[in-house]
Amino acid sequence: MSSDRERAPDADTEYQHPEDDGPEPEKHCGHGRGGMGEEVNRKEDKRFITGRGDYVDDIKKPGMLHCEIVRSPHAHARVEEIDGSRAEAMDEVVAVLTAEDLLAHDLATMPTLMDDTQDVLVNEKVKFQSQEVAAVIAEDRYAAKDGAQKVEVEYDVLDPVVDAEEALEDDAPLVRDELDDQEDNHIFDWETGDKEETDRVFEEADVTVEEDMLYQRLHPAPIETCGAVADWDPGKDKMTVHMTSQAPHAHRTLFSQVSGIPEHKVRIVSPDVGGGFGNKVPIYPGYVVAAAASYVLEEPVKWVEERSENIQTTGFARDYDMTGELAATEDGEIKGVKVDVLANHGAYNAAAQPSKFPAGFFNIFTGSYDIEAAHGSLTAAFTNTAPGGVAYRCSFRVTEAVYLIERMVKVLADELDVDPAEIRRKNFIPSEAFPYESATGWNYDSGDYEKALDKALEMADYEHYREEQQRRLEEDADKLIGIGISSFTEVVGAGPGKQCDIAGIEMFDSADLRVNPTGNAVLRVGVQTQGQGHETTFAQIVAEELGMDVDDITVEHGDTDTEPYGLGTYGSRSTPVAGAAAAVAARKVRDKAKSIAANELEAAEEDIEWDRESGEFHVAGAPDRSITITEIAAGAYMNHPGGEEPGLEATNYYDPPEMTYPFGSYIVVVEIDRETGEVDFEKFVAVDDCGNRINPMIIEGQIHGGLAQGIGTAMMEHVTYDDNGNVTGGDFMNYLLPTANEIPNFETGHTVTPSPHHPIGAKGVGESPTVGSPPAIVNAVVDAMSEAGVSHVEMPMTPDVVWEKLDEVGLSHQPARNVEFSVEDGEHADD
Amino acid sequence: MTDETEITLTVNGTEHTVEVEPRRLLVHAIREDLDLTGTHIGCDTGNCGACTVLKDGEPIKSCLMFATQADGAEILTVEGMEDLPAADDDLHPLQEGFREEHGLQCGYCTPGMLMAGKALLDENPEPEEDEIREAISGNLCRCTGYQNIVRSIEYAADELDARAATDGGAVAAADGERSADAGGEADTFCGLEDCCGGPDASGGDHAGDQFEREYLGGEET
Repeated sequence: MSSDRERAPDADTEYQHPEDDGPEPEKHCGHGRGGMGEEVNRKEDKRFITGRGDYVDDIKKPGMLHCEIVRSPHAHARVEEIDGSRAEAMDEVVAVLTAEDLLAHDLATMPTLMDDTQDVLVNEKVKFQSQEVAAVIAEDRYAAKDGAQKVEVEYDVLDPVVDAEEALEDDAPLVRDELDDQEDNHIFDWETGDKEETDRVFEEADVTVEEDMLYQRLHPAPIETCGAVADWDPGKDKMTVHMTSQAPHAHRTLFSQVSGIPEHKVRIVSPDVGGGFGNKVPIYPGYVVAAAASYVLEEPVKWVEERSENIQTTGFARDYDMTGELAATEDGEIKGVKVDVLANHGAYNAAAQPSKFPAGFFNIFTGSYDIEAAHGSLTAAFTNTAPGGVAYRCSFRVTEAVYLIERMVKVLADELDVDPAEIRRKNFIPSEAFPYESATGWNYDSGDYEKALDKALEMADYEHYREEQQRRLEEDADKLIGIGISSFTEVVGAGPGKQCDIAGIEMFDSADLRVNPTGNAVLRVGVQTQGQGHETTFAQIVAEELGMDVDDITVEHGDTDTEPYGLGTYGSRSTPVAGAAAAVAARKVRDKAKSIAANELEAAEEDIEWDRESGEFHVAGAPDRSITITEIAAGAYMNHPGGEEPGLEATNYYDPPEMTYPFGSYIVVVEIDRETGEVDFEKFVAVDDCGNRINPMIIEGQIHGGLAQGIGTAMMEHVTYDDNGNVTGGDFMNYLLPTANEIPNFETGHTVTPSPHHPIGAKGVGESPTVGSPPAIVNAVVDAMSEAGVSHVEMPMTPDVVWEKLDEVGLSHQPARNVEFSVEDGEHADD
Repeated sequence: MTDETEITLTVNGTEHTVEVEPRRLLVHAIREDLDLTGTHIGCDTGNCGACTVLKDGEPIKSCLMFATQADGAEILTVEGMEDLPAADDDLHPLQEGFREEHGLQCGYCTPGMLMAGKALLDENPEPEEDEIREAISGNLCRCTGYQNIVRSIEYAADELDARAATDGGAVAAADGERSADAGGEADTFCGLEDCCGGPDASGGDHAGDQFEREYLGGEET
């Protein structure tokens, strides 16, 4: 989105990392400072590899009670009666809570991030299977479960509607009949771009193509589920909640608003978090129930989900049913793009988007291409399924947008019978066109898409595999080769605050840097790590800016009592926003240090220069008269210049002037077994450009993890429902995460195109691989069959789905051994 | 609750007596009764492997076993890694490997991965990549994409191999023995310096030596 400001007031792009396409850097050996671009081992690792991590479920407090939630077996039902008496009669059960109890404290409902209102415990009507109906609080985890079994709930079961298209039909069951103005299951319509102009471009186009595709319902499924330990202290009138939160400060504000407890009397601590991926951005009923129970009972209360509760009730992702269209000239120049989406939002509008973006950043669907006309429309519907639409390792629906455009480019390439690499090259936004404003209003900061694609093609040995593909087809080999490309662009790092807010809070972020008298420092940030390595990378930023050793900098995060206010970690915003804040805070410290340096070096302040290379101040023209920040720190506390404030610290609240636009090109080579439909990864190349790089080791790790999630998306994962609204893909027996056996070795590469508006030229990277890889994988599978006329295969591409498609176009092979299978008697006989 | 039974668990070399209900899961006994919270829970269905521990040397998912089924067993959890002979008074080579090769991100699956890796290397000190992948295929990781976990285990295998070359294999072998031989004899290494293949006097003091003496043979050697 365009901003009226060109640059951040503090933007300083003097730092340009020299490394570009060069050899991978050496590991931090302890002799360097551990600044930008060094492969510093992670500071956080020791506690995790020795079993000393501190996750929510590890917390044990005296008198702590356990909360178990009673959930509805039905997807759509009126609650006629709840009888908790048999549970309450049990020795170790302390309380049974229902909506009625919560109503007494005005806690029966909670706001969603999209300004809907969700029942904390079902008040009248269950709207999705496993919805929270009652809660049992007991002295022990097992007793709480026993109690939950004894709570008797009488339901009047109603017909559910699961499918978004059916939900919009006239006679569909009404999901939200408690809302006065809601007469159907329609939530909102959204539109972007210029319809008239786009229609005109399509009418005049030489070629148009169209494809339907479902981005299926996924779940982020971090290995740690959601949970909380709430502890009301009646002596201090203070509520402390340790919870699995990607956004502790925003959650504190929301907790305060929901509970009526003043915000300064609420402390949210997000301790070690076992993966988030967007799952831990919203507030869930379990957190509120635990807090309410602690408040009422005046004891600490722990609530931790089981896996099935996590998948079946907490924020799902995607579920966009899309139709894409492209208009092009006959030589492959893309002139226009259209997209129409039906979004299943579940029973509540509980997506996690900046509030002015009901469809997130989906209107980035012009992707990496210079397309003059674009139009998108979307309709969102309520259904009797779990609420969600969270940004699963992506920046607010950019994943769906990238899938749409990268799939459509392949469809167009096949229609025109041109190479999919060449058609991309022909349509890329040229590197000299940046900053570039897209047809839907995004203001891309920088990019060099062709360079990344060229590098990927070379790494993938593209020409060789094209020849191999032809050879296999000609020889009618048992295994087909398919080559898929995705040249994606992401948009990450929300704010700016005036455009992006969560529940009204502008999406800035913060850093507070304090240099101690003995020369080491503590950096506190408003974002929160769930594995991204902030304790290391943010220390590297400060090390770079202040010439300090990375080992002398501690990074703290996740505690609202001590950290500066921030909006949290999701949408790849930590480096673009809080990383910028850390750099700016360090520069403020350096500015202050300059006057102390002058004092210590007995020179005029205007003669003091900062030498980035050596990481110290020296007197102009006298490089041997120098002083480090560590040496200055002592002066700041023990010999500060008169007229100055003592101490050496600074805070920065950074409101980004723009978002950042990381990009990359991924090339996937698959081998498809024509007898079984199994897909093997022959080669998986990922070239990423995230601007200047802080820690290449951590970047590579992020890329690997996101690619594995992309493979899960493309090949395995789907939260499925039956017609009665029963979740049939709601645990790890049925919602399949890839294991080490399904994931190949990845080959990673990079280019460096710094962000011009970011203080250290960085862009954020954690989500690029999850966003960029699914279309590359689907394109590869389609590519293996495209000569036979296949234009699309739906995800997840399980062997049966692929085999059906092979068979449909006459590419399947029968097994060498002739096996006959008789459906009638269920027996098979070997000939 | 009624019907509690008394069981004995030797965890990381320390014997514990705990009263448990027959239905109490081993993972809850480890985490909540013994306060060893390094072992995690991620799924309840035996799919994720975050709760993997070694029971008498075998990797098991402690959410799929009742505590009473482990009565009398010797359990190794992540908290015991640093006390193993191969840890050399510091981190075990597997732990080092995970740090050096960036084999972890959020850290939640890591203890289970370490246990799966330990069980593999005890059986197969020089595993091929596909053998490593197979060995950890019962453990889900959502962060790393597994590639660096494989490298981490390879790092440990190389490190243990290099040490074996200098000390005759005693430390690595004893490392595996400790968890494999529940209360058994320390038949490969008596714990004394310069004796039966143990580390020489100049090789430094192995924290594991004391561990070995206390927990493996159970007797003063």
